[in-house]
Amino acid sequence: MSRQSKPVVVPFDEALQRYLTVSGISRRQFISRIAALGAVAAIGGIVEACVSAAQSPSPLPATPAPTAAGAATAVATATPVPTPIPSPEAELFVYNWDGYIGSNTVSDFSKKYGIKVTYDKFPDEPTQIAKLQSDGKGGGYDVSYPASTWLPSFVADGIVQPIQPSLVPNLANLAPEWQNPGYDPNNAHSVPNYWWTTGYAWDPAKLPGQYSAWADLWNPNLKGHLGMLDDMREVFATAAFQLGLSPNTVDEGELDQILAKLEVQKPLVRIWTDDDIGDFESGQLWITHCWSGDWYQMTSDKPNAQYVIPSEGSIRGNDTMVILSGAKHPIAAHLWINYNLDPQVSANNTNEIGYMGPNAAALPLIDPTIKNDPRLNPPDSVKAKLVELAYLAPADLDKYTKRWQLLRA
Amino acid sequence: MTAAPASGRDRPAILGRLAGAVLLVPGVVWLAAFFLVPLAIMVVISFGALDANGHVTLANPGFQNYQDALQPEYVRVVWNSLYYALVTTILSIAIGYPIAYWISRYGGRRKVLLLILVMLPFWTSYLIRTYAWMIILRDNGIVNSALQAVGLTNEPIEILNTDFAVILGMTYGFLPFAILPLYVSIDRLDEHLVQAGRDLYASGSQAFIHVTLPLTMPGIVAAALLTFIPALGDFVTPDLLGGAQTTTIAKIVQVIFTSGRDWPGGSALGFLLMIVTLGGTLAALRTLRREVLAG
Repeated sequence: MSRQSKPVVVPFDEALQRYLTVSGISRRQFISRIAALGAVAAIGGIVEACVSAAQSPSPLPATPAPTAAGAATAVATATPVPTPIPSPEAELFVYNWDGYIGSNTVSDFSKKYGIKVTYDKFPDEPTQIAKLQSDGKGGGYDVSYPASTWLPSFVADGIVQPIQPSLVPNLANLAPEWQNPGYDPNNAHSVPNYWWTTGYAWDPAKLPGQYSAWADLWNPNLKGHLGMLDDMREVFATAAFQLGLSPNTVDEGELDQILAKLEVQKPLVRIWTDDDIGDFESGQLWITHCWSGDWYQMTSDKPNAQYVIPSEGSIRGNDTMVILSGAKHPIAAHLWINYNLDPQVSANNTNEIGYMGPNAAALPLIDPTIKNDPRLNPPDSVKAKLVELAYLAPADLDKYTKRWQLLRA
Repeated sequence: MTAAPASGRDRPAILGRLAGAVLLVPGVVWLAAFFLVPLAIMVVISFGALDANGHVTLANPGFQNYQDALQPEYVRVVWNSLYYALVTTILSIAIGYPIAYWISRYGGRRKVLLLILVMLPFWTSYLIRTYAWMIILRDNGIVNSALQAVGLTNEPIEILNTDFAVILGMTYGFLPFAILPLYVSIDRLDEHLVQAGRDLYASGSQAFIHVTLPLTMPGIVAAALLTFIPALGDFVTPDLLGGAQTTTIAKIVQVIFTSGRDWPGGSALGFLLMIVTLGGTLAALRTLRREVLAG
């Protein structure tokens, strides 16, 4: 039996380097050798990515990418090869928010690279975090989308693995302000995905008045028609901004004030929702706390739905694409991230879900109604009033949870 | 309780007992691996705490989590859970008994088919069936559309996210658990006893109250336990069909685990609930046994 028969999971780059050193061949020769073996499916994309990166500084390949099937056929006609062995990278396990990607992105990726994607969705962040932390290396997924606030803790815990920039040439598409974010210097362990604001959406047919502030969500007229996100930090922030407090406060007295404020609102709330879009579209909620892109998705069903970034200030955040340390398909994972940074793919995603991304090359391809809408792409004057939620140490988080339980009880 | 006859057949009896022990092995292993071990892990974690990085640590084990779990504010939440479970149990038996009775007495050759129909909903995930109820009950759902179409109401009535919706969903979900044990006890009932009652000039309802009902009481108790215990811990139905104003204890446990990421705290509250439920069940069973033996 050759050593091939015993697959061992090692960090991709290490494995690749070791292989290249041992066999004394160039990266390109290596890739063509793999292709000749028939393990084309996943590697074919890397060939394309690496070759195009090597040949031109432009991240856009000049020629259309050869499909995996095409490459396989080409190889087959050139030299008679034995039955292709299934590539160990022909699968990919992705874990993302529900409704957070263009509807064709997954199938197009599969078609292009011949990689079977298992795309699992989670309804809320605690579910995601619990799953990714469950075994300390990502719960069996290759790629997931944690909020940026989680990055420092994920890196410290070894839940994510470093991104290999050479395998993600489309990183060059990121706008300069996203090249070196504070939560993850030089994007060493993550790639920024989309960013959002928090506000609320309402149906003007049911609620004709003017809504501009968080305080408007405390109007008794809303009783029975108001939804708040089932998201502790976001809910606490709505009261914090009204009280002039930081949404990241860990002061017990301030948190008591926030809780008291939320207790006043509670009788008006119909549900703390995980499905703001569905509950709004089905008429359960006339007005609901939500994220900017969620509102955009609501307008496909209720075109007149309105959204506001409340005047007291609000939350902004972004999430990231990461490769988990337990990933069994690290090459396919890099390929997935690179694919999603493709200008057209990135723009397709944004045009469907309404979340703006960090992809400068995609900007010309984004629907002007999104790009020019200050509610989805706010001007700097509004951005100045937005605050990012900070990671809280367990002892501080506990102060929030205790009060959240009291509010819910 | 060993059923082996003792009279002069020692070897077969021993063999039988041995075979019995062997047959028990898969069940015991299964329970140990998938029930006792996880339960033990939960109990151990419940005495732990979170370190600065949010990992569970057992460095200073203590009862802090149990103290935290005994919040006076939880009384209302526990009451909500009890209320939902009690009403669900009563409704399930009230609706299930006539159905079980009818299948047993009048099902004839179609008994098996009818029982399969009772179990038919299990072929679809409970979660999906609960989502179906959301679609039926929501403001622009079938019920509200029908009410508005016949002019009974102009504005949609708030059905989803109310106690009514939760109890409806739970009763729907747990009804089969009530019907099956009720059916078994009613079907085993010797009809001659009822006829004897009638011969002694009992009216139909008297015969039911004095003969049928007491003799099927074990089925009713089994149905009550099989409904009440899972209903008490039900999370899915109140979470999906309920609203912001009524919270169950299961939801609080979930909040501690998820939003709080506090596994020790959630384990402690979960374990407390389990003890209370187990204690209540044992007490109920003991009372029942005493009554059955006395009667």
